[in-house]
Amino acid sequence: MSDPENPDLVNPLDLDEYRAGSSAALTDHERWPTLTEGGATQLTRWRTHPDAPTWVHETGDRLTEEQLDRVRRPLSRDGWLEEHLETARGLPRYRKLTGLTLLSDFPLIERRDLVTDLASFVPLDADLDRMVGGTSSGSTGAALMIPDDIEEVARSFHLLRDLVIAAGVEWEPDDERLALAYLVHQRQAFTYVSLISSFAHRPMARVNLDCSGWPTVESRARFLADANPQVISGNPSSLNELLADDLIGVVRPLAIFSGAMALSGPLRRALEQAFSAPVFDIYGLHETRPIAVRTDDGPFRVLDRRVVVEALDADGLPVPHGEAGELVVTAGENPLLPLVRYRTGDFGRLISLPDGGVGITDLEGREHTSFIASDGRMVACVDLTQQLQAHGAVGWSIQQHADGSILAHIAGGEKVSIKAGLEALLSQDVEMDAVDRVSQLGEGKPRRYFSAVSSPIRGSDVQARSSP
Amino acid sequence: MAEAEKLLGVWAACARDEDEAWRTAVEGPATVDLAARLSTVPQPFLDPRVSVVALAGDILGMGSLACAPYCDDAAVRQGAAIGLWLFASEELLSPFSRTLANSDRFAAVDVLALRLASVSAPETWLWDDERREEAVRTFLLWSGFLPAGEDRDTARALLAARDSLSRNKALAEAYAEHRHREAIARRLADARAKEAAARYSSE
Repeated sequence: MSDPENPDLVNPLDLDEYRAGSSAALTDHERWPTLTEGGATQLTRWRTHPDAPTWVHETGDRLTEEQLDRVRRPLSRDGWLEEHLETARGLPRYRKLTGLTLLSDFPLIERRDLVTDLASFVPLDADLDRMVGGTSSGSTGAALMIPDDIEEVARSFHLLRDLVIAAGVEWEPDDERLALAYLVHQRQAFTYVSLISSFAHRPMARVNLDCSGWPTVESRARFLADANPQVISGNPSSLNELLADDLIGVVRPLAIFSGAMALSGPLRRALEQAFSAPVFDIYGLHETRPIAVRTDDGPFRVLDRRVVVEALDADGLPVPHGEAGELVVTAGENPLLPLVRYRTGDFGRLISLPDGGVGITDLEGREHTSFIASDGRMVACVDLTQQLQAHGAVGWSIQQHADGSILAHIAGGEKVSIKAGLEALLSQDVEMDAVDRVSQLGEGKPRRYFSAVSSPIRGSDVQARSSP
Repeated sequence: MAEAEKLLGVWAACARDEDEAWRTAVEGPATVDLAARLSTVPQPFLDPRVSVVALAGDILGMGSLACAPYCDDAAVRQGAAIGLWLFASEELLSPFSRTLANSDRFAAVDVLALRLASVSAPETWLWDDERREEAVRTFLLWSGFLPAGEDRDTARALLAARDSLSRNKALAEAYAEHRHREAIARRLADARAKEAAARYSSE
């Protein structure tokens, strides 16, 4: 780790924002305005647990008393789309445009539009007191600060709870367990203990399973065993780690949620078998919030919330029903970022489900790619993303060949720092080719990872698919 | 109008939050005193051959004006020069009943040069009472003052009633968008916003 007393020992991979406490600015009573004595006790318990990892961050839900009940209920969908489009017509982005009558009249937008002029998508009368920053590393380009709405973020917990309950599983506040553990498995991450004010102030934690942040090698297992989270969320990398020998028997979750990247069928089944719990695969983007969910190998079901999904061709026109197209999402859950026709960069086919719901099949675009360092360590692509974005890269294509060698095409950024960062992460030389523009990376998403060496599912011989 | 919109954008980018400016303003000199002083702006201040940047250096000292790169524009130059005169006059003539010393002098000059001069020609401030009062009230606010004898709400209402920008719908909308962008950027850069909120799952 970095030694502030000796600059020569500074680890080139350490990013300032992940220094413990560097982003904390509030008091606990500001983080949880309705903080109770019991809640404060829980905070202390988990923050100072002898086996707790080094908590990098402190953050809460900021909900006032009057907001608690509001966030427990989903937003009404009655007439929401017309109201949403009316709001959109008043956004700086659209207010000078005419002819925006129907949803299909609105031009398509993409992540680059948000990066370039985020404020033009925020309503002029938005309540900025509810705005907090949410960093989206995303999967389609440069990092982006999303204006999160505190009520919407808090409501997303109750979406998870509603899904669990709809699956026939009871999830009520438990005095002895963490209500939720949000797991990541990456070199650096924001980790914290929080309270869920709208769930009886029960504790939750964002936990990094990477071994480097724990007091001892046995700590993470002991911590998770003691916390025994009621529900676990994460991505395929962190959930795969949950199958490691030291962790597989220590938690008994009621349900598991996977997001951010494609969850393979074999990994989902391995998780179901290991924990005897339903595994929800959530499809969504930070910009749009959750879009669809599935619990098996079948189609994703578009969630019954303020979201509309279209499938469009390369010219931006709707593909015939059931044919593959780029998924374009209109999302109305976040009042601070009311998106209309947002290109996700993901592809799929829209189908009608037997009960009339909308399904997405053959969803492509959330590649889950891991690399193998020269010393045999698995390195999640999110670790590479952090380094690349920190040093200003705007696009890249990074490929690991079957012999383990790495070839990186990088657009933008500090080339020397990027090369040093990648080589330190992967413990090997990286052949790097710098290009001036993202377009020189070729067609497709501006960020691509390819690995000919696959990430094995813990505790099984089944190989997870490598991304195409 | 494109030029005016650009100048309004420059002001929006350098100005602090207007609500905060009203919230923190304290009682200052009377508008009538400033208006009288404004009317007596010496010709050398209005002479286009005199460098506003040099003038600002002499009067304001260390620091830089956001309007400096735009002083080739006659209105910007005049607006800045009149603001500089109000500060210089305290030394050259006499201090106001409540001195402007220690006020936010760069912002007060910039607001006249960039925001007000974009929509109200500075020469009119010299002969039109209404426009002069708007200039004086604008100057006072961004210096950090309320007019003597006025409470916050009254002062705000009186300036709003004289606001030239609000009479130009297109420019007013453009300015509102500039301010909106700055407000969002300020908010997201604020440490309290950057602490973010606890999240529950990956997306």
